[in-house]
Amino acid sequence: MREVAVVSFAQSPCVPADREHDMAEILLPVLRRALDSCGLTRDEIGFVASGSHDFYEGRTFSSIESLDAVGAWPPIRQSHVEMDAAWAFAEAWTWLQTSKIKTSVVYAVGRSSLVSDLDQVLPAQLDPYLLAPLRPHRHALAGLQAAAMVDAGLTSERQMAEVVSRCLATAAANPNALRGGVRTGKENDAPFVASPLRAHDVAPPGDAAAVIVLAAGDAARRPTGRPAWVRGLDHRMETHYPGARDLTRSISVGLAAARAAEQAGFGAADVDVAELHTEYSHQEPLLVAALGLEKTVINPSGGPLAGHPATATGLIRIGEAARQIMDGTAERALAHATNGPALQHNLICLMAGEPR
Amino acid sequence: MTLPEPVETMASPLRMEYTFVAGTGRSVFLRGLARRQLLARRCPGCRMVYAPAPAFCSGCLLPTGPPFALSGRGEVATFCVVNFPFPGQVHQPPYVVAHIRLDGADTRLQHLVREIAPELVRIGLPVEPVWVDDAELDTSTTSIRWFRPIREPIGPADA
Repeated sequence: MREVAVVSFAQSPCVPADREHDMAEILLPVLRRALDSCGLTRDEIGFVASGSHDFYEGRTFSSIESLDAVGAWPPIRQSHVEMDAAWAFAEAWTWLQTSKIKTSVVYAVGRSSLVSDLDQVLPAQLDPYLLAPLRPHRHALAGLQAAAMVDAGLTSERQMAEVVSRCLATAAANPNALRGGVRTGKENDAPFVASPLRAHDVAPPGDAAAVIVLAAGDAARRPTGRPAWVRGLDHRMETHYPGARDLTRSISVGLAAARAAEQAGFGAADVDVAELHTEYSHQEPLLVAALGLEKTVINPSGGPLAGHPATATGLIRIGEAARQIMDGTAERALAHATNGPALQHNLICLMAGEPR
Repeated sequence: MTLPEPVETMASPLRMEYTFVAGTGRSVFLRGLARRQLLARRCPGCRMVYAPAPAFCSGCLLPTGPPFALSGRGEVATFCVVNFPFPGQVHQPPYVVAHIRLDGADTRLQHLVREIAPELVRIGLPVEPVWVDDAELDTSTTSIRWFRPIREPIGPADA
């Protein structure tokens, strides 16, 4: 396989609602920072991949607006996924594996705030015949998963609260986090939003852009810093109907991790740090068990529980995990991203300070 | 043996409401419309004049210059005649949807062309905006009811 590395990562602070900027205006300063920090110009970029979702924007082909920030004239090689931009990262990585292109930009414009009522929109991602007509509450499927986990003894409301406390404590040092800091300890007195989930168990939606620059081979070996080599990447999807799944475990995470480990030469349990796409607190113990991360540092950025710009959240996990390698904190890192309800579709990316 | 009747339809109406954020660039244009102004901005790099203008040129990525008002006059750059009815249609077909090249701008603005029989519309037709009454002015392209042919003498049409 070709040696490919993350050479730069930048994101804008996650804010509850950006009412000033269009997609291109949110993206442009972040894109500039990402390119400047690795010494590349936009003319040197061979491929551009992005992820966002019309259902969050309320417009068809909304992603085209963001291309204004890329400089897409004369026309460039470009692709977009209507899902989390972690999958745009997967596409860019695949392009670098199968072409002569040397560099790629992957970006996300995550806008959770434009939807007036997520309960109107999120059911539209479900099976249109059997589930969407029921218009489940936005957290209902996650609540079913959390309840099944508590019932199976795989987590508890107390452990879930501890996950939130730990994430928000480390998020205090993350300038891009939407929320963070010390907690009162009385959060478990709060009412349920979908039992056993309380408001604090849910990743707070927000707006942010994120950009990752990928480079292959010698293009990645620059004097500007230590690259985070992408050693393995795989993603797997489970059935559309959540009732047909065992919600307390994740077969897709296990399969993706096994395939990524085959490519990487090391497994999930061997990493120093993991950034997990946990939109709900109970998903951390589920993913830790599926990946064997019991002794690993989890979500030092604070993770999605500290800020969830939908469709950027997964790409930010890859960026944050890569940052841990690029700044020398970690030798090996894992990033996880998810799409769909109750961890339906999962991506695992293994990175290291050395190429294979 | 006959198969059971398959289910062919089910009702599942979706209603979704959103906040639209026009952005700092295009907001300038929309606010101009509420004052009966068509505002343009020039890229300092490639000199392209945008109307409506984004905050920065999509080719050069440079911030576009200060807004200035165009006369509003322009010409039909291309057009089509809408002949069929569809749900939510505001105007009675047939009617003309056109791209209008505003004098002084390098981009084209989409709007209606009325006050002329559709079969008489042609590319190059000089047009001007018909603004709504003050009470109806808004930060919207609906501040212009439609464009119409400029009625002053303009020389022979087929010169």
